[in-house]
Amino acid sequence: MAGTQAAAKGLKQNPSAAARPVTKWKKIFPYAVSMLVVRLTGRELSTQILESCRSGDRDAFRVLYEQYKDRVYSIAFYFFHGDPVSASDATQQVFLKLMTSIQQFRGEAEFSTWLYRLVVNVCVDAARSRKSEAVISDRLDAFSVPSSQEDDYQRAETARSVRMAVSPLPPKFRIAVLMRYFDDLSYEQMASALRCSMGTVASRLSRGHKMLAERLKRLKG
Amino acid sequence: MWEKHIAMHLMAYLNGELPPRKAREVESHLEVCEACRTEREKIRAGMDAIRRLPLVAAPDSIWPSIAAEFGRRQPRPAAVVHWRWVLAAAVLITLMSSTAYWWLHRPLGTEWGVVRIDGSPSIGAKPLVGAGHVRAGEWIETDAHSQALVQVGEIGSVQVAPNTRVRVVTAQQDEHRLALARGEIHASISAPPKLFFVDTASGTAVDLGCEYSLIAADDGSSLLRVIRGWVSFEWKEIDSLVPAGATCRTRPHLGPGIPYFDDASAKLKQAADAFGLEKSGDTTLNVILSASRVRDTLTLWHLLARVDPPDRNRVYDHLASVSPPPAGVTREMVLKLDAAALQRWRDDLAWKW
Amino acid sequence: MRMGMLRIGITVCAAVPLGLADGFSFTLGNPVAAQDYRAKTASFVFRAEGCGEPAKAQITGTAEGLVNGIRHSVPLKISAMSQPGVYAVYQTWPAEGAWVVSLKGACGAENAGALVPTSAKGFLRDAVKFFPRPATNVEIETALKNLAQGANQ
Repeated sequence: MAGTQAAAKGLKQNPSAAARPVTKWKKIFPYAVSMLVVRLTGRELSTQILESCRSGDRDAFRVLYEQYKDRVYSIAFYFFHGDPVSASDATQQVFLKLMTSIQQFRGEAEFSTWLYRLVVNVCVDAARSRKSEAVISDRLDAFSVPSSQEDDYQRAETARSVRMAVSPLPPKFRIAVLMRYFDDLSYEQMASALRCSMGTVASRLSRGHKMLAERLKRLKG
Repeated sequence: MWEKHIAMHLMAYLNGELPPRKAREVESHLEVCEACRTEREKIRAGMDAIRRLPLVAAPDSIWPSIAAEFGRRQPRPAAVVHWRWVLAAAVLITLMSSTAYWWLHRPLGTEWGVVRIDGSPSIGAKPLVGAGHVRAGEWIETDAHSQALVQVGEIGSVQVAPNTRVRVVTAQQDEHRLALARGEIHASISAPPKLFFVDTASGTAVDLGCEYSLIAADDGSSLLRVIRGWVSFEWKEIDSLVPAGATCRTRPHLGPGIPYFDDASAKLKQAADAFGLEKSGDTTLNVILSASRVRDTLTLWHLLARVDPPDRNRVYDHLASVSPPPAGVTREMVLKLDAAALQRWRDDLAWKW
Repeated sequence: MRMGMLRIGITVCAAVPLGLADGFSFTLGNPVAAQDYRAKTASFVFRAEGCGEPAKAQITGTAEGLVNGIRHSVPLKISAMSQPGVYAVYQTWPAEGAWVVSLKGACGAENAGALVPTSAKGFLRDAVKFFPRPATNVEIETALKNLAQGANQ
């Protein structure tokens, strides 16, 4: 059987119909139900999926979640210094907020901008509410893991160094750099998500990348 | 001022996003401005660095909490024109009377949702396009290139692998039953026990709350592998308890075999699978006894009821030496296959599985 | 036959460390041991033994992990099962990284602890360590290091 999870969900036959009550078999059962969700090919989120989500279709929302979850989680993961618990919390908050506001969307471009605005809000608000932006210490030196796969080890080491270089970036630069990389948003989309001008987006990206390069250089000695 | 423009455009330039004319202007400036070239290299180094960060998969643990909230926080449907509500109400009233008639005369059981995952699965003889429903009595069939996902009422789902033929026997709230003729299914059920059953030619998997895969071969034999929870595999008077991490094979006319843990030795697993098939059970029994670990008391316990009385003594002695029966369970009771005594011993042994 | 008896002897000896000590201690098991369907999705179950009043035993725990070289500590979700003194531990830690569950129990003046290395399939029985007290930080770090190294072999 296929390892990673995959499930298609029935799309409504007539998406233009008025909102319908959720059919019986799609109700949430009191116990956690393990659902399988299929990956959509390509990056497009079909208007049918969005329409179904707006109508309260839980399974369509699951498809949407599967489409974006890794990118949202990755941004949060690196934003919160590699802390999986904070990243999970943030990801959960993003999709919960999305759940209650999704009926305002009309098309793919607007949706992703809106989604990433939520990501920015959740991440930056959480960072602001913390007393210090202390970087979780990396104790890999104490528990170095020798690997028989030299390439894998090098890749992991490089990723670790980059992550350590990203962590101390000021939050507004950090989020801009991560969003640009993980979702390749246009300047216009980023400006909307970050609620600033495109010029500010360009400035944050330039400065963020430069700071990243300088910190990485210092880490490598 | 020109430097400021260059700084603003460097990111877009490095990403190839500038219009051609602007890109040429930036290139021309870079040829004569060392400071801007240095800026460009710093930004480029940062961009190269960030590309080394791998995408991190979101943990599976996030979705359930979102799903739980979904039931509480249904988004409000978009506002609609008033006249549509009037029309909808009229349609609803008309439908109610016919629905009432249908409800009174409906066939037993309801229907489950089915979704195509891959290829062209069929329900009945009709190909499934996208999503559909399956009713009690209908077959779901997949070929070598197709797969489907069945939503089993409100208690879980079953993934139907390629080359599989499975029928919905009962689709009711108090009984969800499938019949697997051939192929493989992967069931993930989250419900109180004994609501979900899968019949095969050589036994019925009774779900006690779990996740498992079940493969049925054309000759009527099956292989059950439990991933989470535990399953009881039943046929006539024979019953095998298969916990997480264990496998049990069934044979036509013989029912469920002896379960074993997947990390048992190859010798033990082969012997357990072969047990009961050969004329004399001595060979396989000897192998099982000699190859068993503490954890393999799962296998040993099941042997008690499957061997002849002389061999039962041997199995008892071996099992008791590994894990003595609890107080109140005597040798005599076990050799007589006292059900309560066997159950108590099994409950005690389970702490070693 | 002799080899068979030797094998039995070895397996019995191997069973000794598995929580058979006197006094307050833990015994770990496959979720089926709880005989409670609520344990079906548990990573493992455990039994607090040697406590005169099981209902008064105080049981806590954390999942200690190493993810991409960074240490984490996650609260555990422990649920009491229908049998007194039996609990289920559900996975609250992420799939990635190496994770060890640190169980701590108190029953009156007696304490107990266990370090339970985990895997995608539940817990690694052979690597479980029991203590007459909560595990120390050094013991936790050692268990994590061993688990991480084992995962890379």
